[in-house]
Amino acid sequence: METILILLTGFLFTCGFYLMLRRNFTRLLIGILFISQAANLVILVVPGLGPGFSPIVPDGATRPLEGHPDPLPQALILTAIVIGFGVIAFAIVLLKKAYHGLKTDDLDRLKETDS
Amino acid sequence: MTEFPLYLCLLVPMGAAFLQILLLGRPRAQRVVAVAATGLLAAVGCALVAAVKTGGPVILDVGGWAAPVGIRLQADMLSALMVAITGIVGLCGAIHGLAEIPASDERRGYHPLYQFLLFGVCGSFLTNDLFNLYVWFEVMLLSSFVLLALGGGKAQIEGAVKYVVLNIVASLVFLLGAGLLYATLGTLNFADIALRISEGKGSATGIRLSAVFLLLAFAVKAGVFPLYAWLPSSYHTPRHTISAVFAGLLTKVGVYALIRTFGPTFATEQGFILPILWWISLLTMVIGVFGAASQFHTRKILSFHIISQIGYMTFGLALGTAGAFAAAIFYVIHHILVKTNLFFVASVIDRIGGGEDLKKTGGLYRNAPWLAILFLIPALSLGGIPPFSGFWAKLALVKEILNVNAWFAAGIALAVGILTLFSMTKIWAEAFWKDRPEDAAPMRPVSVSHVIPMVILAVGTVAISLFPAYLFELADIAARQLLTPVAP
Amino acid sequence: MEWYLMGMVAIIAGAMVWPLLAKRHAVWAGWLSAIAPIGIFCWLLTQTKNVANEVLPTWTAEWVPQMGISLDFRLDGPGLLLSMLITGIGALILIYGGGYLKGSPQAAPFFAFVQLFMLAMLGVASADHLLVLFIFWELTSLASYLLIGLSHSELAARKAALRALLVTGTGGLALLAGILILGSVGGTYSLAELQTKGDLIRSSPMYLGIFVLVILGAFTKSAQIPFHFWLPDAMAAPTPVSAYLHSATMVKAGVFLLAKFYPILGGVPIWHDTLTVIGGVTMLLGGILALAQTDLKKLLAYSTMSALGTLVMLLGIGTDLAVKAAMVFLVVHALYKAPLFMIAGVVDKATGTRNVTLLQGLGKRMPLLGIAAALAAFSMSGLPPFVGFIGKELLYEAEIHAGHYSLLITCLGFAANAINVTVALKVGISPFRNRGELPDINPKARKPSLLIGPLILALAGALIGLFPWLLGEGLINAAVRDIVSQPVDSDLKLWHGFSLLLVISAVTVVVGVVLYIFRDRVRAMVGLVLQKIPKKSSDIFDWGLARLIEGAGMSTRFFQHGNLRLYLVVVLICLSSLITASLVSTGFAGMPQSGPVRFVPVGISLLMVMAGIAAIRSRSTVMAVLAMGGIGYGVALLFALFGAPDLALTQVLVETLTLVLFALVMRQLPPIQAYSSTRRRATDLGIALTAGVALTIALLAVRGATIPDAERISAEMATRSLPEANGKNVVNVILVDFRALDTMGEICVLAIAAIGVAGLLLGSGRRNVQAELAIATPLFRTAVSWMTPLLIFMSIVLLFRGHNEPGGGFIGGLVAGAGLVLRRLASADRPPDAGRQPFLYMAAGIITALVSTLPAVFLQRTFMEGVWIGSLWLPIVGKTKFGTPFLFDIGVYLVVAGVCLLILTRLIRGETLKEATHH
Repeated sequence: METILILLTGFLFTCGFYLMLRRNFTRLLIGILFISQAANLVILVVPGLGPGFSPIVPDGATRPLEGHPDPLPQALILTAIVIGFGVIAFAIVLLKKAYHGLKTDDLDRLKETDS
Repeated sequence: MTEFPLYLCLLVPMGAAFLQILLLGRPRAQRVVAVAATGLLAAVGCALVAAVKTGGPVILDVGGWAAPVGIRLQADMLSALMVAITGIVGLCGAIHGLAEIPASDERRGYHPLYQFLLFGVCGSFLTNDLFNLYVWFEVMLLSSFVLLALGGGKAQIEGAVKYVVLNIVASLVFLLGAGLLYATLGTLNFADIALRISEGKGSATGIRLSAVFLLLAFAVKAGVFPLYAWLPSSYHTPRHTISAVFAGLLTKVGVYALIRTFGPTFATEQGFILPILWWISLLTMVIGVFGAASQFHTRKILSFHIISQIGYMTFGLALGTAGAFAAAIFYVIHHILVKTNLFFVASVIDRIGGGEDLKKTGGLYRNAPWLAILFLIPALSLGGIPPFSGFWAKLALVKEILNVNAWFAAGIALAVGILTLFSMTKIWAEAFWKDRPEDAAPMRPVSVSHVIPMVILAVGTVAISLFPAYLFELADIAARQLLTPVAP
Repeated sequence: MEWYLMGMVAIIAGAMVWPLLAKRHAVWAGWLSAIAPIGIFCWLLTQTKNVANEVLPTWTAEWVPQMGISLDFRLDGPGLLLSMLITGIGALILIYGGGYLKGSPQAAPFFAFVQLFMLAMLGVASADHLLVLFIFWELTSLASYLLIGLSHSELAARKAALRALLVTGTGGLALLAGILILGSVGGTYSLAELQTKGDLIRSSPMYLGIFVLVILGAFTKSAQIPFHFWLPDAMAAPTPVSAYLHSATMVKAGVFLLAKFYPILGGVPIWHDTLTVIGGVTMLLGGILALAQTDLKKLLAYSTMSALGTLVMLLGIGTDLAVKAAMVFLVVHALYKAPLFMIAGVVDKATGTRNVTLLQGLGKRMPLLGIAAALAAFSMSGLPPFVGFIGKELLYEAEIHAGHYSLLITCLGFAANAINVTVALKVGISPFRNRGELPDINPKARKPSLLIGPLILALAGALIGLFPWLLGEGLINAAVRDIVSQPVDSDLKLWHGFSLLLVISAVTVVVGVVLYIFRDRVRAMVGLVLQKIPKKSSDIFDWGLARLIEGAGMSTRFFQHGNLRLYLVVVLICLSSLITASLVSTGFAGMPQSGPVRFVPVGISLLMVMAGIAAIRSRSTVMAVLAMGGIGYGVALLFALFGAPDLALTQVLVETLTLVLFALVMRQLPPIQAYSSTRRRATDLGIALTAGVALTIALLAVRGATIPDAERISAEMATRSLPEANGKNVVNVILVDFRALDTMGEICVLAIAAIGVAGLLLGSGRRNVQAELAIATPLFRTAVSWMTPLLIFMSIVLLFRGHNEPGGGFIGGLVAGAGLVLRRLASADRPPDAGRQPFLYMAAGIITALVSTLPAVFLQRTFMEGVWIGSLWLPIVGKTKFGTPFLFDIGVYLVVAGVCLLILTRLIRGETLKEATHH
């Protein structure tokens, strides 16, 4: 199963990279979102997937059931999702602002501030 | 309670950020808080350096969960020095901001963001946990994104787009690296990573792959060739206060992460990583200084210099010896003081010299001799003219380079020095010596808060210049502590 | 030695004080500032006997032990000689400069920089530690740069200053490299010690490297061919500066350095040949170039270059006699060149020109000056009984006994000396001769302070010529002794009797006078010859600099082109190549381990692939965004299917929020246009594919050898979660307890993002826009009035049960945020303006999180350690334990709610405002 999902993330990465290299703001953003989704998935998949139940201690037990999925990647992903949301929210609004300020959504026209 | 200054370094900026949010809409109170909090941070940082000097590294397992289960905050000498300098730069920036930041920016949340930025920077320096470092990086980056775009000028937004996109990509690479490392080694604590690698745990492929992911991520943040493009496109666009603080601190966080990661943590990967870093650093020095030599705009020149100087720092890392690490650490501290100061000078040049385009500035030698002195100190230091601090930094590094008989690299390092000096003389000749041109922008008033930060930093530079032994001692301690990680 | 160093301190203090005085009273500043150097000069006089008896004054102090640098000072023979020149001439220059620059804005910086320079030179003369010497060495270059640029309004002066700095600065760096290598070969940086280790150095394989680097340093400083061109340019400096730096002292520093290094590097054929040849050529060329000049200062500058060549050549010849000749000539040259420069300055001031062809008759107007000029000129011509004669006799003697090529060397020396006579006559005699009409004199030029320097020096030249013992045989002998490392004993004599030397001297003078008589014709001829030379070295230098800057510009435009996509391409290429390199270098660890395949996730994956293809192919913005949402929800489903309910919940909520944001913003962005060409797209696809494939292989490789679950730190977390952290939901416990610091950072990121978004969206401050909200229909309001409390309630339940079941502060906060936004939308007719409320939520959240860290601190426990107070049974939620981690979670909840509220209200408000202004 992991192999299949890794191939899926690989596909998502490729799509994300391709979209990132487009000239539209919108596609650039969608590309970044693709990559960040894929990255989150990678952190879950690569350490190994569980059998399907969650790492929660059942009533009466002192630790989760044997064979439970690794809880730490889940916690890391949760943090990453939230942080990713913050960053993306800002990026969306920034690009909107850029479109209004620079009157273009073509990235190739953003060449004023370099050298 | 020896950890007291350690967590104060985090609580102070965070508490200040809280106050600043609460005080939104009351600029006067916010300004007081800004200066007081950064001053406190500087004091706490210095206290931390003193504590580490007397008592060795200060360690704090947050929440009482011993590392590697919990997150460990650790202030060895390197971290303590970086935090202290962050406090000082933060204080200078806050004071400079008093005079520069307009009310509209304050309304848009400049003050809390500034504190959050320092919070993220301090956290990055203090944490001993890879994923936690990612979180601090994001705190720092996102606040830098916002500060960069604050004000919303056209150039600002354009610079911000490039800065934001490239840094988001780097962050994602960092995240991937951390995830892969966890899958390979099952731990995130730096010391534990080093321990497990030395015990032979984890697959070589996994370790190396996560190492290159981290290398790429940190290289972008540090502004290393060929990944620095975001820096010159954005650093000259925001308010001077903000560029100065960015110039001083942000790339150095990347350099710090490189040193921390590839010094002790991935020690076994040095055979693979350091040769790459070697060549990249040399290219960074050269291409960076070429950029500076070709520009005619104060802040652009200074921005390209950051890149060139980063090359020196990472080259210290690439040499891989304790002495070279110490040299790199000395370099970092010197550079932060000098570079921040030069951006402050650029701010005043902009106000009274006639703008940032060197063709349209002039007459400052006659009109503002005090500024000439305040410019010469950091500029000569950056150019490596003895006995200024830059000379000591370069001397230490070149000595280490010659120790391994790397003649070519030593030659490059020295030749880049003369080009650095050349581009500093360009600013000097155009803005100071040249007569004020007809089409220069009208002068704007300069207040005390413009000058105080420059004086503070210049005094710091002069102190390091005349008494480098003290900083060398600290840098030596830092390098030694860095290479002998405290076992979890 | 303490006196010497205290004198240096006094000078540097003076460099800060006298400029202040110089603004108003430059003459006074000149006299006062001369006190310190005169003091040192007197002290030096008392030391001559000691130095002659090999009792060298020394002083040492620790400075930078890590770099092996201590402040070692040691005054040996050459050092003493140079120090006397520096202080003696320096004092006179300061007095002269005070008079010369009176009332000029240049006076203040002049005093600052000249004294800085004086300090640096004294350091060079006395430092024993090579790196300390280097520090002072570079300071002289710096001072020279600042002094040449005193007339900074002129482009020529700025350019000349830069040239001098770049040439001497590059040489300085070479010297530094040489010193560092020398230090590592010799094991010490002490000159005195190194001078005893000459054989070791000379036999080292590094010798050639050290030699070349040191020579570069010395030659650039002493203006040897082909680095000579900065010196004539440097005449852009005011005359006192030229007199001091560019004739008497700084340029001698290179010669001094060679003398100091003679015991270490000298005595080897390459040393001998290089110095002799370069020195000889410089000597001759300097002379020839001087013949073509009409400007007084340029004449003197080229003749200085010639003199420097002579000195270098003598050190190259390296016999005892040659070294002695060099030391004597060092003094002699300073004694006549400095006064001639000062005189040139006075002439310039008096008449406003420095052109020798225009000057005449000044002798009548300024008789004392004329006398000084004549004395100096005679000394320069080498006429007896002046000191110049002694120098020239020694010179010829040394040249004749030079060994190899002595005849050639003597001929070169003869030519140079003859030209010297011509130059001396042109500068010292011609302007003062009376040829008719007397010129008008600027009365400002008649000042005692302007006269005293030239007079004293010129008289000293005459006196020493008559009484050579004044110069002190001890002094010269000590200098020679310390250079050739063996005792020498010979005294200076004015009269050698009738010999070949005297004949040559006489012929020299005759030829010189002849050249003087036909000066105009000679000048024209030399000028013609010089025009034939296609490129001068200054042109080559300028050309090289221009090309370098051009190249720098090209490289910068190439790497910093401004195209974000290409920057991204670079990142991707780096990523791919780094992955490839690491895979190639380590190999594959094993086949990826993979659990059993389940159908539902495979189905979801297929749907996600379709969504991905749709996102790439679609031209419609809506379609692309929907595809993106599909991916997001797909990921959430995968999370849910693989035992990560918290993640799934969060992902769904965040994805929804992102879609809402996109939807709100997207309306304003133009539809996606196909900007790129087909070829461009194909290349991009290739790059993306390469990076994607590399990344996939990397992931599979890592998956091939993951660490067993039991060895991961999470194993311990799972075990300790309930017993020690009182939480059943391990993921939540990690978030609020084990790794609470991550969460602390995370809520800050959210707060920052919210402030950032709000800041970007904050309009120009116009308020009270009467825009109707289309969605605020009565039905909507009724629905919301039910929905909001429900959502808030749900969110609280989620918060409370989070520690044991899926949920927690973050998820709860998102739900609460949604409820609050809805209420805002419904409660007003106008676009919602949340005002300060969301900020208060955020602040409250942050302070709650902060407060939760404090109990542990007060209880003397570790920072952020959980403190539990007890448990409570709550309806719906069940039994819950309360403690600081829970408080922390409440903080998260509040921040998240505030963030949602802020971002959404600002966005919606911004949208509606925009629409309102459009209508």
